[in-house]
Amino acid sequence: MHRFVAARLLQAVAIVFLVGTLTFLLLRLAPGDPLTGTSSSILVPRSVVEQQRRAFGLDRPILEQYGRYLANLARGDFGYSYREHRPAWQAIRDRIPNTLLLAAAALVVTFGLGIAIGVIQSLRAGSRVDDLLSLASLTVYSTPVFWLGIVLLLVFGETLRWLPVAGATDPVVYDQLPLLGRAWDRLRHLVLPALTLGAIGAAATARFQRAAMLDVIRQDFIRTARAKGLAQRAVVMRHALRNALLPVITLFGLAFPLLLGGTVLVETVFAWPGMGKLTIDAIHGRDYFVVTGAAVLAAVMVVIGNLLADILYRVLDPRTREAA
Amino acid sequence: MLRILTTLLAGLVVAACVSDQGESCPDGWCGTAVIATPAEADVLFPPSAQGDIARSIIDLVFTKLAALGPDLNTVDTSGFEPRLASSWIREDSLTLVFSLNPDARWHDGVPVTADDVVFTYEVYRDSLVGSPARPRVLQIAGVNARGPHTVAFHFPRPYLEQLFDAVYHMWILPKHVLDTVPRAELVAHPFGRNPVGAGPYRFVQWRAGESVELVADTASFLPRPGLRRVIWRTTGGDMSAAITQLLSGSVDVLNYLPPEAVQRAETSDDVRAIAYEPSTFYSYLLFNLRDPNDPARPHPLFADRELRRALTAGVDRAAAVRAVDGPDGIVADGPVSPALWIYGLDYTRLMYDAARARRELTALGWRDSDGDGVLDRNGQRLSFSIIVPETSVARRRFAQIIQEQLKSLGVEMRITELDFNTFLQRAESGRFDMFYGSYGGDPSPASISEVWTSDAIGGFNFGSYVNPEVDRAVRAALAARDIEAARRRWTDAVSLINADAPAIWISCTVPKAGVHHRFENVSIRGDNLTATLPAWGVPIDRRLPRDRYVN
Repeated sequence: MHRFVAARLLQAVAIVFLVGTLTFLLLRLAPGDPLTGTSSSILVPRSVVEQQRRAFGLDRPILEQYGRYLANLARGDFGYSYREHRPAWQAIRDRIPNTLLLAAAALVVTFGLGIAIGVIQSLRAGSRVDDLLSLASLTVYSTPVFWLGIVLLLVFGETLRWLPVAGATDPVVYDQLPLLGRAWDRLRHLVLPALTLGAIGAAATARFQRAAMLDVIRQDFIRTARAKGLAQRAVVMRHALRNALLPVITLFGLAFPLLLGGTVLVETVFAWPGMGKLTIDAIHGRDYFVVTGAAVLAAVMVVIGNLLADILYRVLDPRTREAA
Repeated sequence: MLRILTTLLAGLVVAACVSDQGESCPDGWCGTAVIATPAEADVLFPPSAQGDIARSIIDLVFTKLAALGPDLNTVDTSGFEPRLASSWIREDSLTLVFSLNPDARWHDGVPVTADDVVFTYEVYRDSLVGSPARPRVLQIAGVNARGPHTVAFHFPRPYLEQLFDAVYHMWILPKHVLDTVPRAELVAHPFGRNPVGAGPYRFVQWRAGESVELVADTASFLPRPGLRRVIWRTTGGDMSAAITQLLSGSVDVLNYLPPEAVQRAETSDDVRAIAYEPSTFYSYLLFNLRDPNDPARPHPLFADRELRRALTAGVDRAAAVRAVDGPDGIVADGPVSPALWIYGLDYTRLMYDAARARRELTALGWRDSDGDGVLDRNGQRLSFSIIVPETSVARRRFAQIIQEQLKSLGVEMRITELDFNTFLQRAESGRFDMFYGSYGGDPSPASISEVWTSDAIGGFNFGSYVNPEVDRAVRAALAARDIEAARRRWTDAVSLINADAPAIWISCTVPKAGVHHRFENVSIRGDNLTATLPAWGVPIDRRLPRDRYVN
């Protein structure tokens, strides 16, 4: 197991290095630079812009800039955010908790809701409930996440006004709320983005879970459990579901990068102050070091997510340990 | 497990129900404006702030010596309103002396003195700071303190806009906080995210990516603002989501409504569209006078002045403006926005006349010899491309309408939509035939020299337009010492520019913001969303729960 983890960690370092390098190069190939300006900026005199370019080393050859970037990165320095006028790491660090909260909530939706629906469908396979849930999950699965977010926002935010439509907190009241009130405020703000981000994953999980459950339910040990007189709940929860979770764990490893990708769109629609929105804004503004920093960090998170999924898989399924 | 979750949820609901106990309205004074903005402020250090959002926040946290009046007249000194300076006198044609309000205090309680003003001037003019306002501040020869509350501004030459240059470009900075910071490090200093000013509102907090909160400074020497709290909320770049937030009541103000959203806002019960007036913008189709492939050579089409004039005559700008900006749209008639005091003077204008445009094109030798619908001459087709920022719905629509109008003349205009950064980069490097620009400069005619003179080549004169006569006329206008002479000289300068047709002037865009109905005394000055915000208020009978939260 130790050798396995060590090998995967080495792979992880190579992947992160590659992601950082590619992001750095692609950004430099794009037209414009951080000092060119944005549509909401005042026009800055060219003399001032040129002076800033020199001060930030943006006039140096790209290889020299890359060398300096790597040297800084090795020291844990992500570089400077030209848009926020502070270290890029600080800009990213401020957004990480929000993105992790959203991704975690979306994971709960993806797997909690998805597994529950898959189990219900498998227990009522072929019934009208199964057909309806299959249709619903297929519909949601085919829906673009961006569009789903806008629809939820229009229905629950603008029309019904049940839930807040933007941000992670209510800036008007949040600081004056007691601890539980703040938790409630955060929860209300989390519902729509988490549902949007997690719903499509939940639809996929449900389909996987249904198939896996149907496969397991037909096996001999389930028949034996039933023959021994175990209650249906015990058969399903303790024997069938546990075995049917293995393929879904593989899905867990795949879900994390998809969720991180999805946060970019969902954070934009719901103005969620996370890394996704920061990255989009940074790409538009060519804020080089925020984009590369966010990409490196996302790569680290994806690699860790996959590593955890692999380890979990080996813990739960002895056959993979033996094969290794 | 289910029981624990249910209990927790019930607890949260109860907590939410009791949370409204925090509402209050001391002295009957309250009111909160939540302003939605698509992006976050860049930095709240005034000399370095570039974004509109940062500058609108800065305008409430910091203050200037004096403020421009609502009509943005930069030469009528009676229009200026006292701020940090309670009065000023012209000592001679080269010196203005300001008396500071002795009651003025920074938000940390330290008195504002003449040393702060001198320090501010030094910071703005320091090349290490790199302030965008530096070229304007360099118009001032020097600033010196003549006592704790008296400060003198010296100018190298007499001109009409001395007072404007002295007070408009600089928000006064606290010397006691920033004096020890090396100049090159000022922009990245934590002050830029936690500023101390002397304006009507005090900075409270900045939640990264989410909001910036200000609260009225109860100890301020300035008149008490109508609203107690102002919160900027970042809505993200998705405009439809931002509009939904406005219409659902999540926010009170949306700083910009795109044309298609104005009608939606106006039919809403809760929101109205308020124009930025007078507008500081004009948009134009800029001809590149140099060859985009070889800037050393003239442009194969647009170096010809008569062709530019013919194309200008062939564009029905009034129809295009009606179609895009609606019946209230304003047709631009030169490089002059309605905010400039020279707007509407009797300068030469090239009017729409399609028949004349056709005649002139024919006289220049342009004919459709191969019957493909596009004019040609000596094997060269009258065909070119225009670059347009994809972020601007209005400019894209204008370009499509004008494309059709030119097509009817036998002129082919291809539209290339670019992301904003690429668009500006192409403009700066001269890699375009035609550029759809929108200029929103200071409310001073001096802004004309930033774009349409030879001094501006390598700057904002992206089309490389040069006419020594225009340069001379603009210099003479800037040096005029009385208003009548200035009017005559600006009329000459703008007439010369218009006659050369370096661009086709399109629209004096009047941006609109969406504002909740409950606010009273609402107006928006053309150059700044929040310049008039201290006058806004909420009548008692229209207060919402969020108006009663006081930080």
